[in-house]
Amino acid sequence: MASSKRDGFDKLVVDSIHGDTHLKKRELEVIDTASFQRLRHLKQLAMSQMAYPNATHTRFAHSLGALAIMTRIIDIAKTTGRVVLSRKQQENLRLAALLHDVGHYPYSHLMERIDKVKLTEEQVEGAQVEGKTLDRSGDPYPEHDLVGTFIVNKQSDLIEALGGKKRAKEIANLFGPKRPTKSKKSLQLSKLVHSSLDMDRLDYLLRDSQATGVPYGQIDINYLLNNLKISPSGMLGISEKAIPAAEQLLLARFFMHRTVYYHKTTFGMEEVCRQLLRRLRSQGKYRIPKDGKDIKELVTSKDLGTFTDAYVDRIIQKAVNDENQVVQALARSIQRRRPPQRLKEVNILRSSQEHNGHHAGTIFKLNCKHNLYSLAKDFDIPLEQFILCETPPLQLEKRGPLVAVEEAMKTNWKEEEELIKVFVTGEDEPKSLVDIPYSLLSKCAGLFFQSFRLYVVYEGEDGNDVISQLRDRVGDWDKP
Amino acid sequence: MDRQQIGVKLTIDGLGLPFKINIFQDRLIMQKSVYLAQTAGVNLGYYYHWYLYGPYSPSLTRDEYAIATDISVGLDESEGWNLDDKSSQRLERIRDIFAEPDRNKLAKKLELLASVHFLIDRRQVSKVDTSRIIATLKQFNKDYFSEEDVQKALGELKTYGLLQA
Repeated sequence: MASSKRDGFDKLVVDSIHGDTHLKKRELEVIDTASFQRLRHLKQLAMSQMAYPNATHTRFAHSLGALAIMTRIIDIAKTTGRVVLSRKQQENLRLAALLHDVGHYPYSHLMERIDKVKLTEEQVEGAQVEGKTLDRSGDPYPEHDLVGTFIVNKQSDLIEALGGKKRAKEIANLFGPKRPTKSKKSLQLSKLVHSSLDMDRLDYLLRDSQATGVPYGQIDINYLLNNLKISPSGMLGISEKAIPAAEQLLLARFFMHRTVYYHKTTFGMEEVCRQLLRRLRSQGKYRIPKDGKDIKELVTSKDLGTFTDAYVDRIIQKAVNDENQVVQALARSIQRRRPPQRLKEVNILRSSQEHNGHHAGTIFKLNCKHNLYSLAKDFDIPLEQFILCETPPLQLEKRGPLVAVEEAMKTNWKEEEELIKVFVTGEDEPKSLVDIPYSLLSKCAGLFFQSFRLYVVYEGEDGNDVISQLRDRVGDWDKP
Repeated sequence: MDRQQIGVKLTIDGLGLPFKINIFQDRLIMQKSVYLAQTAGVNLGYYYHWYLYGPYSPSLTRDEYAIATDISVGLDESEGWNLDDKSSQRLERIRDIFAEPDRNKLAKKLELLASVHFLIDRRQVSKVDTSRIIATLKQFNKDYFSEEDVQKALGELKTYGLLQA
């Protein structure tokens, strides 16, 4: 493929997904900082490579992809002429796209969500737990977009590359949780970075799909981008004829979650690692940051460059020789790629209208709560090596499964702004895709999928027999 | 429920409030209560930014729905858990703020307390400049709060140790 630099750009990078990606001088300066180069050492899909060997692409490549998509969106805004973006606004949007993932933790959401993890013994009856006390006197680990704002606002290499503290703050406000609010136009600009149709999602679905070889993530990106429109008030949406492409985007995300992100091996390994890190942190071992304050100190220090996947890998290597047998077993499971064995999985797909009474997932959880302790005892396996977990509820659109359309509209529900909008023929302002009566989403937006799972880390030589017996014992735990 | 969600449920219980998110007013009370609890030093980990009705956290909204879904199927996983002593004491110290039985009045009161605190905390306004606070609230379409309301809110925030005197 012959490629050449576009006028006004200083560098050309060829990306496997988007082809030619043209970079400006300031963007190059940002990319060449140590703070940004850290993203080369964060795998986009964390432990997915355990199941999909080629899924080793990085946050670095994804960030360049997000920039490529933002470039196209800005071109469309310029062509339609409905929103006049100053040169500086265009630059800020491009830089925000480039930097939107700069705050990711090692293994991304795996480490970020340590504070959310419940250990198995805390969830079952009969286990010896030293008081189930939640310590909320210290800050939990902040979410990655907030960490990103710390980095952009504090790391001197980025501040210098961005042209000073003021500019750094403007850009952090575009991708971080503290988004501009006074100006309607500013609000819409941040939607290009955060929404159901944002550059982040458009890139990661394609990139993850290609890297894993799972075709469900493929989306019609050209048709979507070619049909983007901006309303007189600055609302971003797609034209009516692109509704199927938008529906397919949302379905692609849904299927990628079910297939790749919630994959039995990946999800199990990540949960083992999360529980391992949580145990080690509680024991004050291996200098794992104890709270959000420590994380802030680390990411704003000169040690930021060490905060990569290798940071967690090193902890796992040390934990293999830990004095605690459970810690050893969990660490070995990851080090040797001996995934936890899935004993039972209960999947549910429910509608927001059916939120009364138990379902198979909650019955399974209750049975685990009542019976897991004796199961572990009967098989002489430490309770801590059973991994009881559930995926986050997955829905097609950001409007929550329990929020009625009318209520969301009436109360200016904030997430409403982030839904995919459609320009219905003849109307200047767009409406949400879920509110188009003939769209698939109008019927399915209230559905959510969730998976409840029980795994075990077992190292005995009689593994097959034991696992098979364990599966027999828990086989009917989804029944009352 | 994950640990963070259990923390939210225990906090709402600790403030003596019912866990309700059926209508907008309920969710406003929930959002502002967690904001004020965090201000009092119970660190639940939600980051707030400004939205139409004052400080708002989208992550908290997601968690509220997850908690409500669990509770609706009879699975309250916060049972058996406690907050640490320090956090419990901090909630106890501000509990009286939430004693208003009229949910309408409570929602308005919490909206104002959280909004005034947020504006001062994020250095949008100075705590001594009441007229500037009112002007800023008006700028965000909150013209239903009088100067007297703002004065009272400032006093209350100081009384409960949420703003330095």
